[in-house]
Amino acid sequence: MEPIVIAKNITKSYTKGLRALDNVSLTVNQGKVLVVMGPSGSGKSTLIRTFNGLESFDQGELNVLGIKINSTHDERKIQKIRRKVGMVFQQFNLFPHLSILENITLAPINVQKRRQREANEYGMYLLNQMGIDSHAKKYPNQLSGGEQQRVAIARALALKPKLLLFDEPTSALDPERINEVLDAMRRLAQQGMTMVVVTHEIGFAKDVSDQVLFMDSGKVIETSTPDIFFSNAKHERSRKFLNQLDKH
Amino acid sequence: MNLIITFFIKLRKLFFSNVLNSIISLIIILILFSIFFNIFGWLIFNANWKVVTSNLPLYAFGSFPANQQWRPATWIISLLTLSMLTLLGPEWKWLRKNLLLAWISTVPFGLYLLYGGLGLLPITSRHWGGLTLTILLTLCSSLLSLPFGIVLALCRQSSFPLVKKLSAIYIDSMRAIPLISVLFFGQLLIPLFLPVGIEIDRVWRAVFAFTLFVSAYIAEDIRGGLQSIPSTQIEAANSLGLNKYQIIKFILIPQALRIALPALTNQSIGLFQNTSLMAILGLVELLGIGRSILANPEFIGQYIEVYIWLACLYWFVCTIMAVLARHLEKRMLINQAIV
Repeated sequence: MEPIVIAKNITKSYTKGLRALDNVSLTVNQGKVLVVMGPSGSGKSTLIRTFNGLESFDQGELNVLGIKINSTHDERKIQKIRRKVGMVFQQFNLFPHLSILENITLAPINVQKRRQREANEYGMYLLNQMGIDSHAKKYPNQLSGGEQQRVAIARALALKPKLLLFDEPTSALDPERINEVLDAMRRLAQQGMTMVVVTHEIGFAKDVSDQVLFMDSGKVIETSTPDIFFSNAKHERSRKFLNQLDKH
Repeated sequence: MNLIITFFIKLRKLFFSNVLNSIISLIIILILFSIFFNIFGWLIFNANWKVVTSNLPLYAFGSFPANQQWRPATWIISLLTLSMLTLLGPEWKWLRKNLLLAWISTVPFGLYLLYGGLGLLPITSRHWGGLTLTILLTLCSSLLSLPFGIVLALCRQSSFPLVKKLSAIYIDSMRAIPLISVLFFGQLLIPLFLPVGIEIDRVWRAVFAFTLFVSAYIAEDIRGGLQSIPSTQIEAANSLGLNKYQIIKFILIPQALRIALPALTNQSIGLFQNTSLMAILGLVELLGIGRSILANPEFIGQYIEVYIWLACLYWFVCTIMAVLARHLEKRMLINQAIV
């Protein structure tokens, strides 16, 4: 089993005393799905944003796909990581001035220097996989939230990444639109994609994840398999959080 | 029929509801009538439009040699045709794709027609004038100041403090100087600074001065556009592995230009009207040619006719520009985010 992400004692503080990440260590193996849960402000998003260098950190060491980065935030190494790691955001962050297909082919053409035709073909294949190939020529604001998020997933896949990061991918969606995005993510997991997912979707975490990591105020409280986490969490704090999620 | 009756009842309620109202309404109507009567009476019976009709080629081309006037005429007609094509043109994709290129190439095309050479009789810029020169000044200056303004705006957002400071100083000082003094600088001081033997044409000195001035304003318009792009756009581009220059080229500039488009239209219409300042500095563009026609003893004192005619011409060109800009905005609205 090849480790894709190894984090060792990552610590980050925005202001003195307040730690966004406090000694976080974790490993994500090839083909595994790690779900990160926790109350808002617990550092989940900050954590996965360090994986592709959108956030820097102050201490510790991070190894993503064999590329090691530390607190110096080496731009060239981070650029290397970004070419192999896809990311999906809460607010989709599609480029509004580009068509759906152009959104997807922008990075393959300009970062990987693929030919336009080849990139278009692969882009159409990905859109087909996501079930939205009929929208290829439309613009992001003509699509519903769920469709936009599936475009964002296709865009992240266009670079043929080894690791996908999801930062609350369903939190900005209407309830009836959530499942179409979760289904697409399920299919990716079945195909063996390595994923790190920040989410509040318990059902998804139960079905798909191999490990659940629970965070609170920047610390990792517990890491368990979903069976244990959702039925018999080790930690008092995790149980309290799950109780509150259930009430909603 | 009923509609008309209700309309009149409404009118009566509005303007003649009581005695005082009726008196005021009657007086206003009387004043309006007399004003219109006088204006039309003057326009039709008193005005001598010979000052306009007998000098039409002068207004259009200035003192361009008569047997070569087909050259600027071709240029102006091609500009009008291109405007019509842009507005009404069919949705052929290759045409739409090449429209921008066509607009940009009107400038070298026009310059070739005006300068001559390569088979055409060379004509110096001293003979350029009239509407042709006004349009040339506007097109060249706006085409040059757009890229310059974009660079200035980007420099102002730069992470290098020196670059940032320098461009801020440039923009602020350009905006603190009146346009007319920048134009004087261009016409009178630049020749003094240049080494002996090198001479820049008067038209190009004007274009240069306009570019210096307008690009500062354009930079501020584009900076507004840049600042209204959410930072999440940059994050998304970063996470796709695009580098700094690719983000500027593919993400920031296209979006900033769209947002700044109404302001940029404003600038180019303003620029078009400001070219009339060059009349004071000795270029015989549209206003300048009007002044020199008025200096002709045959037409002395016919200010009103000439200026009404010039106002109509300026209005006409500005309207074309405004309509084109609105068309462009509409096309861009299709693919704009409603974030």
